[in-house]
Amino acid sequence: MKAKHALVVTLIFAIIATQLVVVTAQKRGLTEEQRIVHVLNRLGFGARPGDVERVKSMGLENYINQQLAPEKIADTVAENKVKELSVLTMTTAELYEKYPQPARLVRRLQDQGMLPKDQDNPRQNEESRKVIQEYYKENGLEQPRRIMAELHASRILRAVYSERQLQEVMVDFWTNHFNVFAGKGADRWLLPAYDRDTIRPHAMGKFSTLLQATAQSPAMLFYLDNFQSVTPNANRPRAQMRPNAPAQQRRGINENYARELMELHTLGVDGGYTQKDVQEVARCFTGWTIFQPRGGAAGAMPLRGEAARRVPGTFFFNARTHDDGEKIVLGQKIAAGGGFNDGLKVLDILARHPATAKFIATKLVRHFVSDTPPPALVQRVAAAFTKSDGDIRETLKAVFFSNEFNSPEAYRAKVKRPFELVISAIRTLGADTNGGPGTHRWIERMGEPLYGYQTPNGYSDAAESWVNTGGLLERMNFGLALADNRVQGTKVDLTQFVKENTDKNKLVDVSLKTILAGEVSVSTKQTLLKQLDQSDPVAKVVGLILGTPEFQRQ
Amino acid sequence: MMNRRFFLKSGGIALASFGMSLSAPSFLERVVLGSQTKGRRKTLIAIFQRGAVDGLNMVVPFGESNYYNSRPSISIAKPEASNAESAINLDGFFGLHPSLRSFKPLWDSKRLAIVHAAGSPDNSRSHFDAQDYMESATPGVKSTADGWLNRYLQSKPDPQESSFRAVSMTRTMPRVLMGRAPAVAMANMSEFAIRAGRSSGSVQTSFEEIYAQRNKDVITGTGRETFEAVNYLKKVNPSQYQPENGAVYPPGPFGNSLKQIAQLIKANVGLEIAFADMGGWDTHVNQGSGRGQLANLLLQFSSAISALYQDLGQRMDDVVILTMSEFGRTVRENGNRGTDHGHANAMFVLGNSVLGGKVYGRWPGLDNAKLNEGRDLALTTDFREVFGEVAQRHLGASDLKSVFPGYHLSTSKFKNFL
Repeated sequence: MKAKHALVVTLIFAIIATQLVVVTAQKRGLTEEQRIVHVLNRLGFGARPGDVERVKSMGLENYINQQLAPEKIADTVAENKVKELSVLTMTTAELYEKYPQPARLVRRLQDQGMLPKDQDNPRQNEESRKVIQEYYKENGLEQPRRIMAELHASRILRAVYSERQLQEVMVDFWTNHFNVFAGKGADRWLLPAYDRDTIRPHAMGKFSTLLQATAQSPAMLFYLDNFQSVTPNANRPRAQMRPNAPAQQRRGINENYARELMELHTLGVDGGYTQKDVQEVARCFTGWTIFQPRGGAAGAMPLRGEAARRVPGTFFFNARTHDDGEKIVLGQKIAAGGGFNDGLKVLDILARHPATAKFIATKLVRHFVSDTPPPALVQRVAAAFTKSDGDIRETLKAVFFSNEFNSPEAYRAKVKRPFELVISAIRTLGADTNGGPGTHRWIERMGEPLYGYQTPNGYSDAAESWVNTGGLLERMNFGLALADNRVQGTKVDLTQFVKENTDKNKLVDVSLKTILAGEVSVSTKQTLLKQLDQSDPVAKVVGLILGTPEFQRQ
Repeated sequence: MMNRRFFLKSGGIALASFGMSLSAPSFLERVVLGSQTKGRRKTLIAIFQRGAVDGLNMVVPFGESNYYNSRPSISIAKPEASNAESAINLDGFFGLHPSLRSFKPLWDSKRLAIVHAAGSPDNSRSHFDAQDYMESATPGVKSTADGWLNRYLQSKPDPQESSFRAVSMTRTMPRVLMGRAPAVAMANMSEFAIRAGRSSGSVQTSFEEIYAQRNKDVITGTGRETFEAVNYLKKVNPSQYQPENGAVYPPGPFGNSLKQIAQLIKANVGLEIAFADMGGWDTHVNQGSGRGQLANLLLQFSSAISALYQDLGQRMDDVVILTMSEFGRTVRENGNRGTDHGHANAMFVLGNSVLGGKVYGRWPGLDNAKLNEGRDLALTTDFREVFGEVAQRHLGASDLKSVFPGYHLSTSKFKNFL
């Protein structure tokens, strides 16, 4: 009863605070322009030329509310930019066809008699290589690395060009929260569907729906091994009886997903679950698997009955490998015989658990407000999460209309992560990019390639844990390269800064105004002025500004 | 939450006597201090053979007939003076792959130790998971955020810490060095600089001025550190490097990585942990025997390590080289004259302080009944026992509990190769 009472009080406080905030923020010091810059930085990937004025004329609150409803924002420019990226619209089965795993393709060609069966390494045999190359050409096949290159490009292009900036920020946030590593086995073929069908449609919806989508996503099922988690009591299918069955198909319960689901996706490490809960949750998810996770098997027997209707590389529940006994999860009984519903019930319990509200609130506040989340704000955001039954928009509102978010302490207090730095630099200069590997390579050099984090915890959102000398050096080099048009696939036009460049001071002033809203120390400005005596001063001044400590912040 | 590095740096080391600025002991000064006030710095060079090297053909149990029965076409022949492709006899039972012949003198002079049948107690046969476990050193636990070498650095804060205390010669930071303690990853030393063509000098000067501001935040602090490191590295002058003692590094990225590690060690940049890796070991098909695919890889691997050893000369008194690979390979060869993912493997430990000339670890044998899951070399040494011994006896780690969480490691588990 007591806890309920406290919750009500918190809620009332949250509502009052939301209404007060606009007034108090102005009182405490952020100018209107700073508040706009702040919102453009945090709810998006920074201002493009003209953005500040645009938001000013429509009103900051209107802008925030508009961003909270991305489905109502027209986004033709971004959609046109990604139109050419064919992997975005292909099914996993189609991806396997067009971008085959090279060794599997060789086996298929051997089975079809196009390559000699007894050859040791056909890809190193000149004649066989010709056959393979010819096959690629005739069938329009490409190397699997193209998949990730196009997916990277789509993320970069959308972050740069989309009017739905908050949507892209949330896609980035959830992709990182529900991290999947492209380098693990089949995951690179599964990630385009993960972005398109799992993260994107639910990034601003209900947390429970998003959680369920990730639980059923082939990418996550593969990454955290649940696709091979089966009850040890299951009848072995005939294929498993073969004495030489590959070791990867050894059978048993796999707890990885169950553990990370609670530790990293919902409750948090101190969320109050036990090892016994991990085991019970793992039992609930036995049989949640992927039909043909690596695409259709070459030379396989034709499928019959129900199996014939399944699509390779998609989720399916295999009742035969499910542990159908009774389970107890976090004190709640899950009756025997629940089948597929066992897993759904677990997700339901977890999505609505108070520890989850606190954990998600903490992560959101750390992302949007400060590396050290103010506990009072976390509490209010968690309350908004609970009250709205995990509605992500309502939860975000509690963040954006809080005093803490709008305080001078929060202004430029977050260090941009590499992806954020690269995108904001491209946007601030109004540069044009194709999002290709030439751009992604810089994000990688700074240490955070997209879909490139091995472990399930995702990239840290607190600067302390990842800012290092090598990464910072690459940030400076990136700024110089971008301003000097040395980033492949990205074009910058710096004439905007030199138009009225009769006076040297003006060049520096205009550049600082555009990139940093003029907010830079006197000594930095002095240093920039000295560069004007050098050759090609515009690129250098702009490159240096992109490398300043101030531009690393948002 | 103030940056730990600043706390350490401003931890009250008086520098006035060196006639240097008091603002923050610079990286260079810390290096100077380190070499004057402390004992000689120990360095660990950790080398990862990614893809799972076939330990049974690398360190060959030629004394066991099961070995030859299991591998009709890819086994390494018993030592035979007239056969250059036969195993190199070590102790009458084990032999080195012939491509490792440059290791033989190190074995003979007792500076090379081998730990066989070592690896992860976790049975995963996924490269990804097994590498992850080996680098986090928490087999079976995926959510460990940092790598064990980084946890070692955290466990022993160094007031004279250099920016180059931990360096990985890789494009991105490997899992083993991820974590709170600062570490640098670079594919090439020459890239660790401001790269703006002919203007690099003036642009760097400008950046240095900009980052000299006295803000005590993580960005400006790291910026100052960065330029101290960049400037110091320039003095090392990597492009002019001449290996010593007639050492010749093999061409290719792995040899190049080790050469640069040697440069860093000789330049006294305060290097304590160096990391390099080499791939290509996943020999499912046509692995070869005395020559072929694996032989070529092993030649590149061993000639680079031997060159490094030779180049460092007397400095190897303070250096240990440790090699590892995520798991071994099946005892029996497969239908493609290759081997599949297995379990236990062999590790090399090299250095002047190593008690070499011995194969450590209990040999479980290749008898069918002794194999792991009926197919792989069984495990008798947990890799953490090897890592732990190196961390404690070579690097001087005192808090093994925090380096290897969830694992009880006492000196009684050490193999005593150090």
